[in-house]
Amino acid sequence: MSVTVKKTIPVVIVAVVAFIVMMDYFLLTPPVDVAGKSWTSTTVTNLQNWGVILTAFALGFGAVNLFYFHSKHISRRTPGQWMYSLWLLIVIVIFTGIGVFTGPTSDQYSWLYNASYFALSATVYSSLGFYMTSGLYRALRFKNVESGIFLVVGFIVLARNAPAFAVYFPVLRVWGSFISDVLTTSAQRGIMIGGALGAISLGIRTMTGRETGFLGKLTEEERGGGIE
Amino acid sequence: MSGQGKSIWDKLENIPREVLYGILLVVFVIPMIYPLGLPVPISANVRKWYQTIEDLPPGSVVMIDFGYSGGGEPELGPMAVAVYRHLFTKGDIKVICMSTSIEGTQLWDKAMAEIRPEQRFGAQYGVDYIHIGYIAGTEVAMAAIGKDLRATTSTDYKGNSLDQYPIMDGIVDAHSFDLLICYTTGGDQSEGWVRQWYTVYGSPYMCSVLAMMVPTMLPYQNAGQIISVTSGAQAGEMEGLVGFPARGIKSADVITLTHLLCLVYVAIGNIAYLGKRFSGGGK
Amino acid sequence: MELSLVIQIWMAALFTMFIYSIAFRDNMLFKFAEYTFVGAAAGHSMVYGVDNIRKVGWNNLIGGNYFYILAFLLGILLYSRYHPQYFWVSRYPLSIMMGLGIGLSMRAVVTAEFIVQIKSTAAIQLIGVTDPVKMVSNIIFIILVVSTVYFFIFTFPKAHEGSLGVIPKIARYGMMAAFAYSFANTVLSRYNMIFGRLDFLYSEWIPLPGAIIALPLVLILLIYVMLPPEKRPWPKKE
Repeated sequence: MSVTVKKTIPVVIVAVVAFIVMMDYFLLTPPVDVAGKSWTSTTVTNLQNWGVILTAFALGFGAVNLFYFHSKHISRRTPGQWMYSLWLLIVIVIFTGIGVFTGPTSDQYSWLYNASYFALSATVYSSLGFYMTSGLYRALRFKNVESGIFLVVGFIVLARNAPAFAVYFPVLRVWGSFISDVLTTSAQRGIMIGGALGAISLGIRTMTGRETGFLGKLTEEERGGGIE
Repeated sequence: MSGQGKSIWDKLENIPREVLYGILLVVFVIPMIYPLGLPVPISANVRKWYQTIEDLPPGSVVMIDFGYSGGGEPELGPMAVAVYRHLFTKGDIKVICMSTSIEGTQLWDKAMAEIRPEQRFGAQYGVDYIHIGYIAGTEVAMAAIGKDLRATTSTDYKGNSLDQYPIMDGIVDAHSFDLLICYTTGGDQSEGWVRQWYTVYGSPYMCSVLAMMVPTMLPYQNAGQIISVTSGAQAGEMEGLVGFPARGIKSADVITLTHLLCLVYVAIGNIAYLGKRFSGGGK
Repeated sequence: MELSLVIQIWMAALFTMFIYSIAFRDNMLFKFAEYTFVGAAAGHSMVYGVDNIRKVGWNNLIGGNYFYILAFLLGILLYSRYHPQYFWVSRYPLSIMMGLGIGLSMRAVVTAEFIVQIKSTAAIQLIGVTDPVKMVSNIIFIILVVSTVYFFIFTFPKAHEGSLGVIPKIARYGMMAAFAYSFANTVLSRYNMIFGRLDFLYSEWIPLPGAIIALPLVLILLIYVMLPPEKRPWPKKE
């Protein structure tokens, strides 16, 4: 009974919801109202809105986990760490407080966002450019056929991506087009088809209870069964 | 071995990263201070993008997803601004914006501060353009908005009722839009719109993504599911076509010189590696 | 210029330089900026989580859809995952999200990423192409798509051995070219982002009063904090 409530019913819910969504897309299932919408259409509209609401609730997980983790450092006064942890939690409180009480589009919150989060986000993303430079200096080496292909193609595309080079050496545009339109598109298409088959099989496995990763930790009792 | 000095090949192969980064920073800064005015070619994808907007009939409604984060703003922001300027210049095009990125509304505000629609183009919020806010859930949000926009959200990004805005008259679902544009730093968004709007409703779709994401989007373009995939790095080209040179074109000189430096680094690394190998110093 | 805007630009500039210092050495100023970033990201998520709950949930609820109260209850139940005994209750809202995600993606993936892609590959012209370069490109395209799909589907060892081994080898070469293209484009992307930040420092921060004097001082401070404590010229240890 407890396995039914804790594991089987959630898996059944996954299957039923997924089935209704797919049914709405492929079929017009009666009863149909005067506007021509079937019951699945109204149900899926509400389910999608519920999905948005549940995702909104889930956005708080990051802050909760950080509070849980960093409050331990603060209470234990972990040397070299606890001050940073305290500052992190203070920043969460400041952002949440100003954002919730004045609104996310208020002048105060926008000021705070532009002064800190935006600058930090943009800079953190861009700082990886330095490591890319180090990477291309150390890793783009002609060691075997595969690394040779990587080197030659990488070299041509680096040259092609420099705007002035593409103007002064038009042949780079021809080679660049071949690399992007033929080599890259075809390989990526093959990867995409393989990935699509994987996604479909993962979806079916999840709907039939063979893939239970989303349930989180399973007890010994729960590990025993799936949907028969 | 400990008694031998390092050969020239060893030194060339192990240039400290501080030197590499220092030279890179210098090459970044010099063309910023002394612009060289190097030429910028306009690619076929940017032309196709530009022409698609040019071909929009008067009264068309465009949905834009401001789906990029602050990290992608330096690259995608200039492209977003250039395209908005194009839409406002064309006139009589309604632009409805939403965000599938949690930073989208702030970045939209930033873009609007740069574009100044009322002052420069006479465009009015709620009549010519609007932002309906960030909707959580990425593909769930796309599907929800595409199926029934008013059932998902009844307010704009500031919390005001959509009913008061003339631009929202007759806007019901994905079929109400003539074109979908997405700017994003996430593959979930750029590919999600193909699955949730193009596949389900047949919406014409163009996207501008980070340059590193372009390879994954090429199969969709090749199959005709996306009209044009551009990268934010091509913002300078778009600005040239639209006639509003701004941040995008400024980066052209810097990108040319830094990429030249990259080619030099790759060449040095390989010369050192091959020199060491053929002088018997290593494999 | 308003004082609040000046302070905003100063803060953004200092955070930018603190973050860039990690390219050289880890240091306390980078850590301070890093923890600020993490806290800001979590706080920002909370703010928009509340905003979406109000926008999509509350507005629908007071608009007459009273069964949306269930969505609120399910959202709160998500947090039961932290309870040692009742963590399984969070599986219910999670399973709705999961079912929705699977349904939405599976209905479209079959068409968008499978059928359309195969159709597009099958539609590539081989007969009647007069341009030899186009002909060779088309042949290479089809070979690479087929070999890449083979590489990912037939993963058992016998499919990669002997005379069949040439197919995954071709796929690997094709994927190497694709990854090299991605790599070069990633360099372009990151350099554009670096330019954006440096352009901000140059055109918005440096023109501010005091910034041109502050710049070398901040750089000296960064070098100081990057040095190991025993190598710092001050304070002198006895």
